[in-house]
Amino acid sequence: MSYITVDGISKTFKVAKRNSGLRAALKSFFNKEYTYIDAVKNVSFTIEKGEIVGYIGPNGAGKSTTIKMLCGILLPTAGNIKVNNMNPFTDRKKYVSNIGVVFGQRSQLAWDIPAEDTFDLLRDIYNIEENEYQKTKEELINLLDLKDVIKKPVRSLSLGQRMRCEIVASLLHNPKILFLDEPTIGLDAKSKKIVRDFILKINKEKKVTIMLTTHDMTDIDKLAKRIILIGKGQILYDGSLSDLKQKYGSYKKITLITKDTIKDIKVKGLISKKKIDGGYSFIIDSNVLTISKFINNLSTKYSIIDIDVDNENIDDVVLKLYQDYEI
Amino acid sequence: MVKLFIESLKLSIKNEIEYKASFIMNSISQFFVFFTYYFTIVALFNKFNNIKGFNVYEILLCFSIIQFGFAFNETFFRGIDRFEDLVIDGSLDRFLVRPRGILFQTMCQKMHLIKIFRLLQAIIILVIALIKLNISWSITKVIVLLLMLISSTLIFFGIFVLTASYCFITVQGLEVKNLFTDGGKHMAQYPISIYKKGIVFVFTFIIPYAFINYYPLLFFIGRTNNILYMLSPLMVFVFLIPCLLSFKIGLKHYTGAGS
Amino acid sequence: MRSYLNYFKLSLITNLQYRAAALAGITTQIFFGLVYVMVYLALYESNKGVNAPMDMQNLITYLWLGQAFFAMTFPFSKNIELTNMIKNGNLAYELVRPQNFYFKFYIKFLASRYVSTMLRFLPIIVLAFVLPHPYKMAMPYSLGNFIVFLLALFLSSLLVISLALLMHIVAMFTIDASGIQSMYMVVAELFMGSIVPLPFLPKILITIGNFLPFRFMSDFPYRVYSNDIPLKEGLPLLLLSLAWVIITILIGLLLSKKALKKAVIQGG
Repeated sequence: MSYITVDGISKTFKVAKRNSGLRAALKSFFNKEYTYIDAVKNVSFTIEKGEIVGYIGPNGAGKSTTIKMLCGILLPTAGNIKVNNMNPFTDRKKYVSNIGVVFGQRSQLAWDIPAEDTFDLLRDIYNIEENEYQKTKEELINLLDLKDVIKKPVRSLSLGQRMRCEIVASLLHNPKILFLDEPTIGLDAKSKKIVRDFILKINKEKKVTIMLTTHDMTDIDKLAKRIILIGKGQILYDGSLSDLKQKYGSYKKITLITKDTIKDIKVKGLISKKKIDGGYSFIIDSNVLTISKFINNLSTKYSIIDIDVDNENIDDVVLKLYQDYEI
Repeated sequence: MVKLFIESLKLSIKNEIEYKASFIMNSISQFFVFFTYYFTIVALFNKFNNIKGFNVYEILLCFSIIQFGFAFNETFFRGIDRFEDLVIDGSLDRFLVRPRGILFQTMCQKMHLIKIFRLLQAIIILVIALIKLNISWSITKVIVLLLMLISSTLIFFGIFVLTASYCFITVQGLEVKNLFTDGGKHMAQYPISIYKKGIVFVFTFIIPYAFINYYPLLFFIGRTNNILYMLSPLMVFVFLIPCLLSFKIGLKHYTGAGS
Repeated sequence: MRSYLNYFKLSLITNLQYRAAALAGITTQIFFGLVYVMVYLALYESNKGVNAPMDMQNLITYLWLGQAFFAMTFPFSKNIELTNMIKNGNLAYELVRPQNFYFKFYIKFLASRYVSTMLRFLPIIVLAFVLPHPYKMAMPYSLGNFIVFLLALFLSSLLVISLALLMHIVAMFTIDASGIQSMYMVVAELFMGSIVPLPFLPKILITIGNFLPFRFMSDFPYRVYSNDIPLKEGLPLLLLSLAWVIITILIGLLLSKKALKKAVIQGG
């Protein structure tokens, strides 16, 4: 039995139809119409204890809805969720003591006072024993480099500092599972690094199971061995990141600096051609078309000033995945 | 539970007095807002001397009991009063991932310190009315007065919970909540007997304002000795049952439907 | 001019989306109307011999008009767009726009009030007319009174907006505007006669009220309708009302110019 089992869950929302224009507004004033939207359709997966899973997909794909269902905030329209042998929904109070949640775009800290005051309140909400609370708090604050920060009013903190405080707030009760909904959104490079190192560390040392959603593919690259890709409410890919890279890893990006105009080339294995400043950028599948053959071919016809060969980075891989699945 | 509530209050107070000047200005204006309520009644009774046999101080007593209950909820349970904000800004989702009751967390969510001035003023008017009214005090009179104050607090609590339940389903058309809170408050500041039958029925058997400050008031000012009148504020507990139940159903709907 | 007119259309579209709000507004206003009418009826019935400051039928008409046009005459509600703009210090950008800052918001405010009133007042008025005596609202005293009432109501809407906008502009000069704004609400509600009609106030307050603009926001139009303020007095008051509209607009215009200049110098 897996730690987290998601079995065929779906979620349907009812939304009021809205068209633009005065006539449409008048019409809906007297007669409102509704449509049903399937935010999540028949999604299943399992997660083992201690895993870090990256949950990715474009905006509106159903990521947050899935996370909300896993947290017990939303009840699935169909399907079942079992986490550590508990149903997040029916065993809510017992269940949520075991999980921590960070909503990257929402704050749980009181705005005008220091974060430490909110922490104290959380101690009482979760009924954490004082010694343990102090110990955990101390530890988290050191790891996230927040020593003086927690004494200042939250409104005066930078986005990065605030996000780190949010993470502390979500972990004070030592949860076994952590849900991170876009934890690095809008952060500066330094804060991103601190947050990523921290996530790795608690995963390794405390065996915290982590599921995170993000748009930042570096997060995924650094943190998650496994990704689940969701689009239009359905799972499109569930597997290791390295498999995905291998599949698309044969794609190479070749940048040519040249003053010549390169005409359209028809050759098997060329994926794309793009005009860039001072030259061209190509993507080729090196399994079909070797790099040397491609360059030889070009150098006979054009005078090339410089060549640069690069592996596709993960951003492009995912972008391509989105394209492949037309999401 | 109590410890957590007090801890939450402290946090709210800290939050609110961060901006001192604003706090002071607002306190003053709160005083004036309230003063106009009081003033309306006094002004009317300058021109008239009674309303259906009740004099100005009896009306003020009736009025202050209702204001007390309303202000108490506004001050200490701000989260319930402004529940729609919690739904809109996502705090409700946050509550759902914490191991505490949702209603309790809502009550703890915010204290609106500024409204404490309204509470104080309600008490001041109550005291003025009591002094002028020549009450023949006895232990039962004290009990009935306390019952009225407590039940007034509870009835508004119930109404706030009821409107909060509505927010689970939609935050649209929430203006209708004013009907029950502000409207009810306005209506119930006069003894219910001055109204016509339809309204009396609604506010006796549907939202039992009459049991809060009318029947017990009659007992208190000595118009009846019927013990039932004295105990009528207890009816508020019957009213609370459907309110709390609807909150439960609303929460189920929210998590079921989502937004 | 065209761009200003567009705000009306936009406001109409926005308001039409909130039909539940309109419905709730109508119900609430009707309820309040009934409660007020009943309270005054009880007062009049209990004090038969007493010389009341207003004729009962006039008073009831006054109360219903107050409910029907509540959306237009309530003195103040915070406009989120303008308040946020002031808070974030984005005012300076307003200088680069082709429209006049003051009139742009004036029209916006006015549009939103007119539209929400249009969606609400009719059912309330109709109900007030079909109710049985003594709850029933009366027809205007004469055609002349009705015309003056309409003009006064129009001027009232202009005055309400110029004062409400003024209260927003005040926020550009102090961070503690919310205190001033709620004070304004209290004073305006008292002297416009929305808590009790002005004749019910003590003499001294009536005298003070005569020197303030607020009575033109509801007391004057609603009373001239039933000739509680006779037509003869109504005409000069109409002019006075117009004068107040012009004065308050000028003050607002001046202050907003000053505030914008300040915003530019401080860099936002």
